[in-house]
Amino acid sequence: MNDSLLEIRDLHLEFHTFEGVAKVLAGVNLQLRRGEFLGLVGETGCGKSMTALAIPRLIPIPPGRITRGEVIFEGKDLLQLNDKGIESFRARELGYVFQDPVTNLNPMFSIREQLIDAVVYQSDANGRKPAGQRRRPASSRQKRRDAFQRSIELLHMVGIPDADRRIHDYPHQFSGGMRQRVLIAMALAGEPKLLIADEPTTALDVTIQAQILRLIQELGRKMGLSVLLITHNLGVVAKICDRVAVMYSGRVIETAPVRDLFNQPLHPYTQGLLKALPHAQSERGGLEGIPGHIPDLISPPAGCRFHPRCAHVMDHCREVVPPVSRKTAEHHVFCHLFDETEEYGHAR
Amino acid sequence: MGAHGNPVDHSTNATMNIYIYVLRRLLLVIPVLLGLSLITFSISRLVPGDPVGLAAGPQSTPEIRERMAAEFGLDRPIPEQYINYMAGVLQLDFGRSLYTKRDVNIELQARIPATLELTLAAIIFASTIGIPLGIVSSLHQNKPPDHVSRLLTLFFVSFPSFWLAMIFQSALGVYWDITPVAGRFPRLALPPQRVTGLLSIDSLLAGDLTAFFSTLHHIALPAFVLSLGALASITRITRASMLEALNNESVRTERSIGIPWALIVMKYVLRNAFTATFTIISLEFGWLMAGAVLVEAIFGWPGLGGYIVDASLNNDFQPIMGVTLVYGVIFSTVNIITDICYGLIDPRIRFG
Repeated sequence: MNDSLLEIRDLHLEFHTFEGVAKVLAGVNLQLRRGEFLGLVGETGCGKSMTALAIPRLIPIPPGRITRGEVIFEGKDLLQLNDKGIESFRARELGYVFQDPVTNLNPMFSIREQLIDAVVYQSDANGRKPAGQRRRPASSRQKRRDAFQRSIELLHMVGIPDADRRIHDYPHQFSGGMRQRVLIAMALAGEPKLLIADEPTTALDVTIQAQILRLIQELGRKMGLSVLLITHNLGVVAKICDRVAVMYSGRVIETAPVRDLFNQPLHPYTQGLLKALPHAQSERGGLEGIPGHIPDLISPPAGCRFHPRCAHVMDHCREVVPPVSRKTAEHHVFCHLFDETEEYGHAR
Repeated sequence: MGAHGNPVDHSTNATMNIYIYVLRRLLLVIPVLLGLSLITFSISRLVPGDPVGLAAGPQSTPEIRERMAAEFGLDRPIPEQYINYMAGVLQLDFGRSLYTKRDVNIELQARIPATLELTLAAIIFASTIGIPLGIVSSLHQNKPPDHVSRLLTLFFVSFPSFWLAMIFQSALGVYWDITPVAGRFPRLALPPQRVTGLLSIDSLLAGDLTAFFSTLHHIALPAFVLSLGALASITRITRASMLEALNNESVRTERSIGIPWALIVMKYVLRNAFTATFTIISLEFGWLMAGAVLVEAIFGWPGLGGYIVDASLNNDFQPIMGVTLVYGVIFSTVNIITDICYGLIDPRIRFG
C-alpha cells in the first residue's frame, strides 16, 4: 500500500545471553500508515519495546543481533543505513518518547540546554532553520539563540505553564508529568513524521496519564504524525488508536482496526486478552486469565508459539508457524484456525 | 512568546545559592581542624617515650631535663599545654623543634611548597593521562584498547612506588643520564625569587625560562613515579563511571533525538561520569601527599615527607603536630574544592 510510512517485514532479533540465544523477535510484520495511530499491545516480554527500538536501531548490538528482516521507512531499509544515515533519520523523521520521564532526562543539564540541543540537531538535519528565522548562514551562537526561542515555543506547545521562566530549571525541579511533557517537546522539536511512544504513561500518576495521552493525541493529529503507541492497556488503545496490533512472544499475531478487534477478536490469544479485561458492568466473579505462562524465549515452542496455551490447538499448530490469514482487507490474523477461510490469497 | 523571559533574575538566584553552599562548606572545616588538632595533640602527648630525654641526650642531668621541659612549657598540665599550643597556632606559630631547636614555621615555609608542587604535578599528570585513558577504555569496552589500558593500570597499581622510583632513578637518572638523580633545583644555580614557593610558577613569574625548564626537568621523574598509582585509580574509576553513565536511559533518549554520538559522549555522558572521577582525584591527592614521603626520600626532595620522618624517629612532637595540621588544612581545602566542583557539576546538589 502506498500510504504506508513504515513497514517492518519478517524481523528477527536475537539476544546472546549466558543461558543461550534468546529469540526475542521471530518474524515481526507490522505496517504503519501515514497519519494513523497504531497501538501495539501485548504482555510484558512479548517484544513490543524491542520491535519499536529496532526501528531507529537503538538496540544495543553486541548482545542483540538482527538476523533477518527489513524495516522500510519511505522506501528505504533503515537496517541498511550507515551510522550517519541512521543518525540523520533519528534527527529528521523520528520522535521517541520513553516510559520513565525521570531517567530519560539528563539530571545534570537544564531543560534549556537539552531542548536547545534537540532543536539544533533536529533542524540541522532537516536543513531547515527553526521556524521563521533569518536565512543567512547563522553562527552557532545565533543558531542556539534561535533554538532557545523555538524551545520556549515548544514548551508552550506541550502545555508547560510559565515556559520562558521554567526553561532554565533543571529536571529535578519538574514533576514526572511535566518531565514527560518536556520529553515530548524534545521528541517533536524537529517536526518528525513518526512518533514512537513506548508506554509513555506507565510511570505516571493516573490523573496525569490521561493528560499526557490527550496531549499526544492532540499533537499527533495536529502535526499529522504517524504514531506507534506501545501499551499494555487496551483501554488506552480503544480511546486513541485507529488500528491495533497484538503481539505474542516475538510475533504480531493479529492486526485490525480497533473496533473490529474489540468486537470480533479472532486469535485465541486476543480473545483471552479481551476476556481478561475488567468490565465495570460485569457481575462479580473476578478476572479471567489465560492459563499457562509466557514461553521461554531461549527454547520457544515450535510452530505457533501460543499452542501450549491454546484451547483450540491442532496438530500442525505444533509444527508450522501460522501464515497470515486475511479475514477482511483490514483484519489480519496469524492462526491456523483461519487457514481455510483464506479469501484474499497469501501475501508474498 | 518571543519575549526573552527573565533569565537574569534566575541566574542571580543560582549564584546566591552557590555562595551559601560554599560558605556552608567552609564553616564545616573549622570543627574538622579542631578535632584533628585535639587528636594529634593527645596522641603525641600520651604516646610512651621521653621526648625531652631524647632531645637532651643520654648525658643530661635531671636538672637540665627539667629546665628544658619548663622552657618548652612541658611542665604544665596537658589541657593548658593544648590551649597554649592552639593560641600559638592561631598566630601561625607552630612552636620549636625539641631536637633541632629550629622554628617549625621556618621549616614548614620551606617544605610545604616543595611537597605541594610535587603532589600537584603528580595529580595533574595522573588526571590528564588517566581521564582520557578511562574514556577511551569505556568506549571500547572489552576490545583491544580497553585490554591494553586495563593491563597497564593493573601494572601501575601493583608495583610499589618506592621500587619503581629506584628503578627509574637508576635507569633514567644514572644509566642513561636523562634526568637529574635527585633534588628540586640545580645546587649551584640561583632559584627564582620566592613568590608562591612553587618553583615552576616563581620562575615563570620571574620570566626565567631556563629555571622553569630546569624545575620541570627535576620534577618530571619523581612526579611521574608518584602519579602512577593515582593514574591507575583515576583511569579505572573514569572507565567504570563512564560505563555506568553510558548505560543511562537518558543516553538512549539523546540518541533517539539524533544528537551526534561524539557530542553525547563528550558533553552529556562525561558530565554524568565526572562526579566519581572528581571524588577519586581529590582522595588521591591526599594519598599522594602521604605516598610522597617515600618518593621524597628516594629523590632527595626537600619536602614535608623527610621532615616528618626525621621528627617521628626522634619523638619530636612539635614538627609532627605542625606537619599533621598542614596536611589537614591541605586535605580540607582539597575537599572544599571538590565539594564546590560537585555543586558546579551537579545541579541537584547546588540547589538541594
